[in-house]
Amino acid sequence: MDSQRSDDGKGYLVLVALMGAALVAWWWLPSVSVAPNRIVPGTGFSAGQVAGWPMALLASLPLLLTGWVALRAGQQRLSWLLGLVMLCLVGWPLWLLLATVQLVDPQLPQARVAIGAGMWLTLFLLLLALIELSTRMKLAAWRSWLLFLLPVAVLAACIPVGLDRLALWQEYQGRSDDFITAIGVHLLLVAATVVLSLMIGVGIALFVRRVPAMQRTVFSILNFLQTIPSLALFGLLLGPLAWLASHYAWLESLGVSGIGWAPALLALVAYSLLPMVRNTLVALEGVDEGVIEAARGMGMSRRQILQQVRLPLALPVLIEGIRITTVQAIGLTAVAALIGAGGLGRFIFQGLGQAATDLVLLGALPILIMALVADALLAGMARKLQPGLSPGAGT
Amino acid sequence: MIELIGVSKRFGDSLAVNNISLKVASGEFCCLVGTSGCGKSTTLRMINRLIEHSDGEIHIDQQPIRSFREEVLRRRIGYAIQSTGLFPHWTVARNIGLVPRLLKWSQAAVDARVEELMALLRLDMAEFAGKYPHQLSGGQAQRVGVARALAADPDILLMDEPFGALDPITRENLQLELRDLQARLGKTIVFVTHDMDEALRLADHLVVMHEGQVVQQGHPLELLREPANEFVTSLLGGEDRGLKEAALLPVSERMVPLGVGGVARDRIVQTASLRDALSMMLWRRVERLAVVDDEDIPIGELSFRRLVGARGHE
Repeated sequence: MDSQRSDDGKGYLVLVALMGAALVAWWWLPSVSVAPNRIVPGTGFSAGQVAGWPMALLASLPLLLTGWVALRAGQQRLSWLLGLVMLCLVGWPLWLLLATVQLVDPQLPQARVAIGAGMWLTLFLLLLALIELSTRMKLAAWRSWLLFLLPVAVLAACIPVGLDRLALWQEYQGRSDDFITAIGVHLLLVAATVVLSLMIGVGIALFVRRVPAMQRTVFSILNFLQTIPSLALFGLLLGPLAWLASHYAWLESLGVSGIGWAPALLALVAYSLLPMVRNTLVALEGVDEGVIEAARGMGMSRRQILQQVRLPLALPVLIEGIRITTVQAIGLTAVAALIGAGGLGRFIFQGLGQAATDLVLLGALPILIMALVADALLAGMARKLQPGLSPGAGT
Repeated sequence: MIELIGVSKRFGDSLAVNNISLKVASGEFCCLVGTSGCGKSTTLRMINRLIEHSDGEIHIDQQPIRSFREEVLRRRIGYAIQSTGLFPHWTVARNIGLVPRLLKWSQAAVDARVEELMALLRLDMAEFAGKYPHQLSGGQAQRVGVARALAADPDILLMDEPFGALDPITRENLQLELRDLQARLGKTIVFVTHDMDEALRLADHLVVMHEGQVVQQGHPLELLREPANEFVTSLLGGEDRGLKEAALLPVSERMVPLGVGGVARDRIVQTASLRDALSMMLWRRVERLAVVDDEDIPIGELSFRRLVGARGHE
């Protein structure tokens, strides 16, 4: 009985730790940095320096309260905790707004505010807390998405009322058309990579199943492709593609050349083949042989067995392969910007060249978000497609 | 009718099935029995060409099985296996309707057939049609497996240890139902099992296999009374053979017409087995039983002496 009680009384340690770390980051790391223009490095301001320490204390109260509730009530008050974490997340852009109003001199049109390490870390820890809570509370996927969207909406609402001085926003403003195009190109390259490597990968996997003797050869080629550094592969493709384009007019008219989308797509597909083929093979071979045996015994043809039994049963694992490939391609496409393929990688490399951290972020943040969204969507899809509509059920 | 003539199967250097000949008449219930690895399952799977035989000939209704396309042959032959092999991503109804759909029946005909089969195997349509295999108990899944095998109304049914994974009670129920089903539908059944009791309960024609060869075949009673060698004797249970034989014989076989001595107090139905009668005598500590018909009307009597088969007058 006693041990039972002490168990109940135990704090919700994960959340306590997250909030503790967030508080440390909040107080000790620079909250924002302010620069008079794009060239000059910014000056860091801690939370206390933004609007005086009483204000900073007030702003950190939600964090403190969340930690305290987690410590005292443990996991009994999950919805309270969720509400408090949401309060912190909604307060985050408001604090940024406050800092902008307080610190930016309206007389300087080029002056800007950059988000500091303290705020980034706090945001990261708060998002972890949100993920932890929504998993623990078994929230439906769309509900947790809505929760994530709420702080984004608040942030967007703050931009016209003063947050347009945010460095990230200033970088975006300077190239908003470019930004939209870059996202489009990035998505297009990723989609083309995934579709092509899926088609080729499934083809190779089916071939290897028919001709097991080729398995070793195929995998050593794919492994080899995977080990070439991405830049080197782009470089290697430069020569052959330039030659092809100069000898075949129709290829040139398609836009194929030594640099640009063509070598990028080729290299991306080459990298994607290994995870795709391997997962497809594992998926197809993971199907219960008893079921296949029964299908043969019932008089299904090879094609019918593949289409009606093997593929549908392999689908969840197959989608797992697509997920891995997609997330990998989203990241690799950034590198493709180096050979003129466009995409969000352009901002990253421009930003690195100009030592403009916020330009790098303008490229990197959407890539990060794309990867997370693709990951979550495909993982959800794989779960939905479990045989018999029930996750993990055996036969 | 199924006929195997001098059939062998080689896997590489090893001979899994060695020159066996076997005839299964139409409407016969044939059980292949033997220890694991004796080639019984291989033999079964050669009949629907899941395994191709290396030598000899296999005929179905006088036609060599290789004169059919594999898929066409298999759609004519029902097939049920131990793990049921039900498709986990299909509902019960869709599983059962598989072969009719492969044969391009109309949707209405498939639906009607599924309903008919579910009634035949006592699976409640409303409850089970939409369920997935993992939601079924072992016995229910096996009923679905049998229904699926019967779906296109094949003349021949091949069953590979279909009840192997079930608990004893479910198993016995399904055996009785299968026996009953076969009596009604008149299918030719080839049934593989390693369980001799199961084989004795089901078979009209018992085939004992050992190391790829047929050791002995015939009616179960023949094998019980005259086992060909030590192996068959031990497989049949050695000293237990008396009880096994008694289990196969109905009371009506040994009863005598009602005498003048009055009807005995303890009654047994004429269709019960001699084993049941013996058990009743032991349990009730009596030496005489009244034999009754289905309506509980006495039609004869059975004494202990008659039961054990002693000749002459009492």
